[in-house]
Amino acid sequence: MGLYHLKKIRTGLSLLFFAALLFVFIGIETGPFRALGDVLLRLQFFPSIIRFVAIFFSVWTLGFLLILALTFLFGRIYCSSVCPLGTLQDIVTRIARLFRRGKKRRFSFSSNRKMILRYSILAATIILWIFGNMFLVNLLDPFSNFGKISVSLFQPLYIWIHNSFTFLLEGFDIYMLRPLSMHALPWDVILVSVAVFLVVAVMAAWRGRLFCNTICPVGSILALAADRSLFRITFRDEACTFCKRCEFVCKAECLDSMNKQVDQGRCINCFNCFTACPKGGLTYALASKKTQEEHTASTSDAGKRTFLLTLASGVLSMPLLKMRSYGQGASKPGMIPVGEQQPVTPPGSISRSHFTNHCIACYLCVSACPTKVIVPAFFDYGLQGFMQPKLDFHRSFCNYDCTRCTEVCPTGAITKQSEEEKKQIRIGEVRFLVESCVVTVDRTDCGACSEHCPTKAVQMVPWEDGLFIPEIYPELCVGCGACEYACPTEPYKAIYVSGLPVHGKAPLIDDGEGPREDDTDDFPF
Amino acid sequence: MNRRQFIQKSVILSALGSLYASTIGKIPGFAASPASSGPGLYDLVAVRGGEPLELYRRAMEEMGGMERYVKQGQTVILKPNASWDTPPERAANTNPDLMGAIVEDCFRAGAGRVLAFDNTCDNWERSYENSGVAGAVRRAGGQMLHAHLERYYKEVSIPGAKRLKTAQVYEHLLDKDNVFINIPVLKHHGSTTITIAMKNLMGVVWDRRFWHRNDLHQCIADFCLFRKPDLNIVDAYLVMTQNGPRGTSTADLTRMRSILVSSDILAVDAAGASMLNHEPADIAHLRIGQEMNIGNLNLSQLNIRRVSL
Repeated sequence: MGLYHLKKIRTGLSLLFFAALLFVFIGIETGPFRALGDVLLRLQFFPSIIRFVAIFFSVWTLGFLLILALTFLFGRIYCSSVCPLGTLQDIVTRIARLFRRGKKRRFSFSSNRKMILRYSILAATIILWIFGNMFLVNLLDPFSNFGKISVSLFQPLYIWIHNSFTFLLEGFDIYMLRPLSMHALPWDVILVSVAVFLVVAVMAAWRGRLFCNTICPVGSILALAADRSLFRITFRDEACTFCKRCEFVCKAECLDSMNKQVDQGRCINCFNCFTACPKGGLTYALASKKTQEEHTASTSDAGKRTFLLTLASGVLSMPLLKMRSYGQGASKPGMIPVGEQQPVTPPGSISRSHFTNHCIACYLCVSACPTKVIVPAFFDYGLQGFMQPKLDFHRSFCNYDCTRCTEVCPTGAITKQSEEEKKQIRIGEVRFLVESCVVTVDRTDCGACSEHCPTKAVQMVPWEDGLFIPEIYPELCVGCGACEYACPTEPYKAIYVSGLPVHGKAPLIDDGEGPREDDTDDFPF
Repeated sequence: MNRRQFIQKSVILSALGSLYASTIGKIPGFAASPASSGPGLYDLVAVRGGEPLELYRRAMEEMGGMERYVKQGQTVILKPNASWDTPPERAANTNPDLMGAIVEDCFRAGAGRVLAFDNTCDNWERSYENSGVAGAVRRAGGQMLHAHLERYYKEVSIPGAKRLKTAQVYEHLLDKDNVFINIPVLKHHGSTTITIAMKNLMGVVWDRRFWHRNDLHQCIADFCLFRKPDLNIVDAYLVMTQNGPRGTSTADLTRMRSILVSSDILAVDAAGASMLNHEPADIAHLRIGQEMNIGNLNLSQLNIRRVSL
C-alpha cells in the first residue's frame, strides 16, 4: 500500500540530504554529493531569504519561495527531509531509543501547542533581523546551528579519523591520502556549539521534534503555511479504532486520536503514523474545503495574536535594543592602541554592516577556507553580530589567489568574486609599530612581513648598519594579513592589519612588459 | 700554398689537435689553468644561454653525471622551492620542468626512491599544485611528501651553532644515508638581499619564526652545520631581480637562462649573489658561513667551469 512506503522514502531522502550537507560542512568533496549539497544549500529557508535580501534577485535566491509553495501544497516536508538539523534530531531520537528498551510507547499527543512561546520567539527573531540584529537568527536558525555543530564538533572528529588512517598508511610508505590540518576553533565557540547540540539532543531524545515546534523560527513560519496545506494527513473515521499506535510514533506529538484531530501546524510529515497504523486509519490526501475551514477557525488563536503583538511592540522598542547592541571594537588590544584594530570581514563581504546584517554564522566559510584564517568570533561585532566569523591573522592569513569563501556562502553575506576581482579588494589596511619591530629592538635583519606580502605593500628599505627595515604602503595593501601572521614578535605583533569598515579597491598588479632579457654576455664571476 | 697542401696541413693539424685533446689535454694540471678540471672535478659548474633542460643536462655532464652523487638503490631527498602559490611563469618557485628532469635523472642513476618536499609559506596544497612542482615530481615517478604538520619534524641539536642550537628538522633529513639535493631558484630577497641555496634550507624546518626572531643571517648559516646538501642545483633561468621572494608580477623577472651547480653551498650562493650584482661578502649569511668554514665563497680560489651554450 502506497502510504505505507512514504516513511521509507522520507527516511531515505532525509538521510541522503543530511549526508550531502554534512559532507559539505566537514569538507568531504565527492562529485555527486557535492552537487547535491550545492543545491540543498540554496534550498535552506532562512539562508535563502537572506540571500534574496542581500543579492536581491537571481534564480538561486528563490529557494525559500519554493519551500513555501511546497509547504502550502504538502505540509512541512522541508522539516522532515530537507532540514539537516531535523534529521540530526531524528538520529538522536533513534539512538536514544536504543537505551529505552521495553518501552513501546515513545510519544503521546500533547494538547499544549505552546503557541504563545513559539510565536513570541518568531516575532522577536524577525524584529531583530529586520533591524539588522542577527542575534536570535544566529542562535536559533536550524541551518546555522547544524553548521555550527558540524564545523566545531563533527569536522574535528572526521579529521581525527581521517588523519589516523592516513598516518597508518604513511607508516607503510603509502602516501595516498593527504593529512588534514587540525585547526581547533576557539574554546568559547566550541562551548556554544556543544550547548546548542545538547539542548537540541536532549529535547529530541525526550520529546521528538519539540525543538522544531517551540523554538525553531523556521518551523514556526512553515507551521503557518502547513495549517493551510492542500495535502494533509487526516484520520479516516470509519477505519480508526482508537488504538493510539499512531500517537506513539508521532515525533511532533500532533496526532489526537481520541478526537480524530491532526494539528497540521505541528505535523512535520514524517509519515511514521502510516507505518504504525495497522488498519489504514489515516490518510494523506487533498483536504476538502470543509475540513480546511474548520481547522483554520480553530487555529486562529492566542498564538498568532501574540505574534502580531510582539512584532508591533518589538518594532517600537527597537531603537533601545539597537543602542545596547553597538559594541564594535578591538578584540585583544595587546600592544595595539585600544580601538585601533577592527575585525576584518572576508573578501566579498562589501562592508562590515553588509556582512553582519547577512551572516547567519553557519561557519561554512570557516570550514571551506583552505588556510583556516576565517574563525568564529564571539561579540567582536557586538550583540547583533553574535558568533559571526572574522579573519584571525594570528592563526593564518588570507591566500591572495583564493576565492573559496566567496563561492560557498549560502546567504550572500560574502558575495561571489572572481580571482581578479578578489585581488583588488581591500579588506583591511596595514599598520606598522616600528618600536616593536625585530630590526629596531634586536638590530638584526628579519623582513618576514615583507617576504609574505603579495602586493609589496610592505617593503624592506635600507636602515642603519646595513640593516633593512619595513616601510608600508597602505594604498597597496589588500589586508590579507600575511605580514601580521609572519611577524615573529609574539605575542604582540609589530605589524598588523586593521579591518576596513567598508572594503576598498586596490590597484591590480599587471605584468607590464613581462620579464626583461639579460643583456650581459658572460657570467660576472 | 695550393689546395692540396692546404688540405694536407689542415688534416695533420686537426689530427694533432684531437690527439692533444684526447691525451695530454685531459691530464689535470697540464692543460687549462686551474689545477683540476674535466668532468666531475669542478667546484662549480655554471651554464648559460639555453633552455632549462639543456642547461641542466650540460651542467650535470660537466659535474660528472648524477651517478657521482646517487648510488644504486639510494633514497634521494629533493628540496625545491615550492613555497608560494604562484604559477611557474612567475618564477617564485623552482622551474617544474627542471624538477621533473632531476627526478628522472636520479632514477636513471639508480635511485631507489626520489622524494621531494617543502614547508611552504603559502597554503601547502595550493603552493604544491600551482607551482607545478608537485605535478612534475609525480609525473617523473617521484613522491611529493607532506610537510605541513609538526609531526613530520624532529628536534635535533646543532653542535657549533651560535643561535640555532636546536631545530625541528624534517624527518627524512635525519637519515644521513639519503642523498640530499637542494634545488633553489635564484631570487632577490627583501631582507636577506638574496635567496639561493642557503636560504632555501629554511623550508626544511618547522619553526621559521625562530630564525627571524634570533638573527636571521646567523641562523641561516648555523643550519648548514646540521646538514649540508650533497648537491646544490640553482635554477637561474628566470630570475626575480626585485620584489622577492614572492614577487608581484612577471615584470620582476630577468631571463638569465642559466644554471649553477655545486656541492659547495657557499660557492654556489656566491656565484648567484654576483649574478644579482652583489659582492658575495656583503651578504651577511654568506660572510658568516665563510667564517664558520661552511664552504668557500672566494670564487677566484675555485675551479669553475663556465659554459655558454
